[in-house]
Amino acid sequence: MTGERVLVAMSGGVDSSVAAALLVDQGYDVIGATMKLFCYGDDVPDRPCCSLDSIDDARRVCEGLGVPHYVLNMEDAFGRDVVANFVDEYARGRTPIPCVRCNSFTKFRDLLHKADALDAQWIATGHYARAVDGALLRGLDPAKDQSYFLWGIDRAVVSRMLLPVGALSKAETRARARALGLSVVAEKPESQDICFVPNGDHSTVLAKHLPVGDAALSRGAFVLSDGRPVGEHQGYARFTIGQRRGLPGGYAEPMFVVAIRPADRAVVIGPREELLGRGIIAREMNWLVEQAPEVGAQVSVQIRHHASPAAAEIVRVEGEEIELALDEPVSAITPGQSMVLYDGERVLGGGVIEAGRREGTARARLPIFAE
Amino acid sequence: MPAPIYLDHSATTPVRPEVFAAMEPFYGPKFGNPSSIHRWGREARAALDEARERLAATLGANSDEIAFTSGGTEADNLAVLGSWRLLREQGKRAVVTTPIEHKAILAAAHQAAHEGAEERLLAVDGNGVVVDASFDALVRDDVAICSVMWVNNEIGTVQRIAELAKLAKARGVLFHTDAVQAFGHIGVSARTSPFDFLSLSGHKIGAPKGIGAIYIRRGTPVEPLQFGGSQNRGVRPGTENVAAAVALARAAELAVEELETEMPRLRALRDRLQHELLSRIPDAVVHASGAERAPHILNISVPGTDSESMLMALDLSGVACSSGSACQSGSVDPSHVLEAIGVPRDLAIAAVRMSLGSLTTDACIDRVAQLFPALISKARRLAGVAS
Repeated sequence: MTGERVLVAMSGGVDSSVAAALLVDQGYDVIGATMKLFCYGDDVPDRPCCSLDSIDDARRVCEGLGVPHYVLNMEDAFGRDVVANFVDEYARGRTPIPCVRCNSFTKFRDLLHKADALDAQWIATGHYARAVDGALLRGLDPAKDQSYFLWGIDRAVVSRMLLPVGALSKAETRARARALGLSVVAEKPESQDICFVPNGDHSTVLAKHLPVGDAALSRGAFVLSDGRPVGEHQGYARFTIGQRRGLPGGYAEPMFVVAIRPADRAVVIGPREELLGRGIIAREMNWLVEQAPEVGAQVSVQIRHHASPAAAEIVRVEGEEIELALDEPVSAITPGQSMVLYDGERVLGGGVIEAGRREGTARARLPIFAE
Repeated sequence: MPAPIYLDHSATTPVRPEVFAAMEPFYGPKFGNPSSIHRWGREARAALDEARERLAATLGANSDEIAFTSGGTEADNLAVLGSWRLLREQGKRAVVTTPIEHKAILAAAHQAAHEGAEERLLAVDGNGVVVDASFDALVRDDVAICSVMWVNNEIGTVQRIAELAKLAKARGVLFHTDAVQAFGHIGVSARTSPFDFLSLSGHKIGAPKGIGAIYIRRGTPVEPLQFGGSQNRGVRPGTENVAAAVALARAAELAVEELETEMPRLRALRDRLQHELLSRIPDAVVHASGAERAPHILNISVPGTDSESMLMALDLSGVACSSGSACQSGSVDPSHVLEAIGVPRDLAIAAVRMSLGSLTTDACIDRVAQLFPALISKARRLAGVAS
């Protein structure tokens, strides 16, 4: 590895900073890069962008490590591949995960092209996952594992990935940061937000990109699953499957969003059992194993970040579309979220959830959570 | 790796040893405040006055026509906003500039527009030269100030400042020129060009960052941007940076003394670099090559490449260049200058500016003439693969 060049995607946070520092220690020829993915500031035409502290932090960390650092303007591609899809998905009543597409397209495709241009054989990030001999594995710290977000990358890229903090716990990462003298970033608070969605308020971002008066952010009805209207909401894009906040009250049991129907702007609410599904249909299926499992294979499936994996069987594969039957029902199968298949620690592949089915093994095509 | 090569003199230059030596005593025993009446004050005041006089001499100006500023940006702002704010009272309603100015001028003009001015942009041709008919149409007697940069910092285009200043004055319009890239690279004189204001920056000519100057022709009205004491005759109050003022004067003297030798030297190096790059990369485009250009700037685009990747690859090979227009985050955005002169976007995003100066030798040019085409062909190979 000595002298082999690696391009490290650096956000300015503790994880990618430690990743860069560890790689320097391991003898790699490290180049730090911070991707500028969207305009951080106001829209003054002659001042199209501004300094963001995190870029400055990444630069300082690299300067401290004695390695070059560059800022890469990837706004156009990120806007097209990630932000536009994010907006479209919400407009379709779904709940997207932009981080997945950012990994698939921005970090491990577009940034990889930059790595090629710089003769960097390796690409590294601060993800809590592991890439071992071409296999993508969960991070060792179950509380921090981020393998769920990485299913969409090109399989060939896994053998070029270095994920040095995937073998650490968050506490170890912070300790390493302090030990490495990365005082700039060691004590930074964890960021939970989507980078281009300040304060977790996604509807503000949608309002900026959707036409004024778009259905997704316009008034609609709350209905029960039998069709009875029970109230009014201010836009179905403000809701996600399984949500409790912001629903009409006065029911004997807790009520949840169980479906979103853009066609009539309805947000369907119901009790907990209506959230349960026994089958999953997913699209854009991408495999990270050489031999994709076939119909009848038993897999372990995770339908959201931090959800426990559930046992399932593959019942149908048609091109990039796949259908699973779950051994036990799971709650809140949400269109737009990712469905990731595991074999133990190893990521087999994943896809974007299209619909959940109440009856997993039934052959009748009756998706209940989407049109 | 061989010694790194600095081809970014338009961004900044190293402080010259002679300049450093001249300013050093003012960080030591000669620390006085030039406004104080005692010996320390007198000593500093004498040095400051002398610096002002010597800087004025390099411009063919009188010393009372010079005010020291924090740099080119402040001088630009003072000229544009200082004139506008004063002359709006007298019924002037517009400011005129070009679309290829430095951001300091464009943003100051925006600010004037925010305060009620009509902002008029002169047309420039494909080489960045101001179009006569546009000047004639826009520079009317309702204009408070017209600002045209003498040498463009990205592409090197030289404007006919003497002529434009004369035309503006004939219409009762104040004329400013941003000479940050012109001074020390072409002849600049207040005697032969009737501009009312001129901006200078120290760090482009071997003085430190944080010092600049504005020339204000005698009798020209201007409203200060900030208020305080009577330093710089109240035009720019605040205790003067004596050491930096001395440095600027020394650097300016050296630049003018060496103009006759340095200008042809840089021009020969630049022209050779251009020739060698074009002969190795026949479809490369040199921007503003049809205009009179300052001798130290070469801005070149190669189709099918992008500045960002080229600048990184050059840096990793030890060559420092620029794309001309860096955003605050440090990332590369398409240049507003290239856009304004009608360069297609795919070429604009490929622009690499090489700016020569005191550190540039024959050996530098030899190496870049080899390295740049090699990096280009690699970038094109990869672009072909990626697309």
